[in-house]
Amino acid sequence: MADPNKVDPIHQFQITDLVSFGNGGVSFTNSALFMALTVGVIGLYLLLSTQKRSIVPNRTQLVSEMLYEFVAKMVSDSAGKAGMKFFPFVFSLFMFVLVANMFGMIPFFFTVTSHIVITFALALLVFVVVIVYGFIKNGPKFLKLFVPAGVPAYVLPIVVPIEVVSFLSRPISLSVRLFANILAGHITLKVFAGFIVTLGSLGFLGWLGAILPLVMTVAITALEFLVAALQAYVFAVLTSMYINDAIHPSH
Amino acid sequence: MALSRKTKRSQSGAKPEPLTSDLAARIKRAQGEKSLAGDAEAASATRDMTGLSRGLRLGSEFIAAILVGAGIGYLLDLWLKTGPWLMLVMLLVGFAAGVLNVVRSAAEMNRAAPPPTAAMRVPDDDEDE
Repeated sequence: MADPNKVDPIHQFQITDLVSFGNGGVSFTNSALFMALTVGVIGLYLLLSTQKRSIVPNRTQLVSEMLYEFVAKMVSDSAGKAGMKFFPFVFSLFMFVLVANMFGMIPFFFTVTSHIVITFALALLVFVVVIVYGFIKNGPKFLKLFVPAGVPAYVLPIVVPIEVVSFLSRPISLSVRLFANILAGHITLKVFAGFIVTLGSLGFLGWLGAILPLVMTVAITALEFLVAALQAYVFAVLTSMYINDAIHPSH
Repeated sequence: MALSRKTKRSQSGAKPEPLTSDLAARIKRAQGEKSLAGDAEAASATRDMTGLSRGLRLGSEFIAAILVGAGIGYLLDLWLKTGPWLMLVMLLVGFAAGVLNVVRSAAEMNRAAPPPTAAMRVPDDDEDE
């Protein structure tokens, strides 16, 4: 990266081993480090800020309470009272994605959610929870999810595969959306920031021209913060909507 | 002396009663206003959910269904050795599922943030909705 004409926007996503355990390929990577950091920061913040449990909250406690109420409202709006059983699950997912995204906005930090392995694992977790709980709660009636009400029997051979594919596409769209947003945003940011250095190597006129990508970089940074929060929100909303399907399988 | 103070206190105790007697009503009113404002705020926030994220959401729903359909068809073909046929059929099914996904999430978005009704609509708000 010392050469100003060589901009390498992908470099930031490289996974490196920090500590290796034996030769089996098991190692503690930078991705794992930032996942652990994410969980640690969430846990510490929520525990410490709510420790005093004051009736009139101070600022940090207020932030925790707002996060709680925000997610609680979201879950009860989309999945109803019965869905509040899954509040801890949705809240954990929301906080993990949110804080991981926000960590990604700090320079030199690794962005955990920019790897599809992570987002797909999260989406698969949601998917499995929905299926397992759906079958436990409703038994075979859960399959009614694939049979829309009021459809004549002779159309069912066409409608049911469509519904099944639509259902199976959920974890894909859920994970790809989060991963693609974060990945694309970070690459764009890096490319525009790289233009500044490249133009700057041209001398005075270059520095003058570099003002444009600098402005763009600042603007994109703000946009990325918005995207980071929004994608966490979207992930959590869709999770609670899918859980709603598990509780009330008929459309 | 003690008696007079007592009566005084009871008098002064009676005085602030109007201050607190309608407290419940006032709390209720304030809460109503607050939740109303909160609802309006949330509604506008979801409506502003930015066209970008709406577009990305609909796009990813559509493409994911196509990919899943084609993938299932491909795997079935590998398993049953039926050439490209199941993949082609499942690709079409995937398309249909994609359209279904898009229609569903668009309906979901409309329900979350209802399009402005005639009453909410400002006069100069013509065709750009």
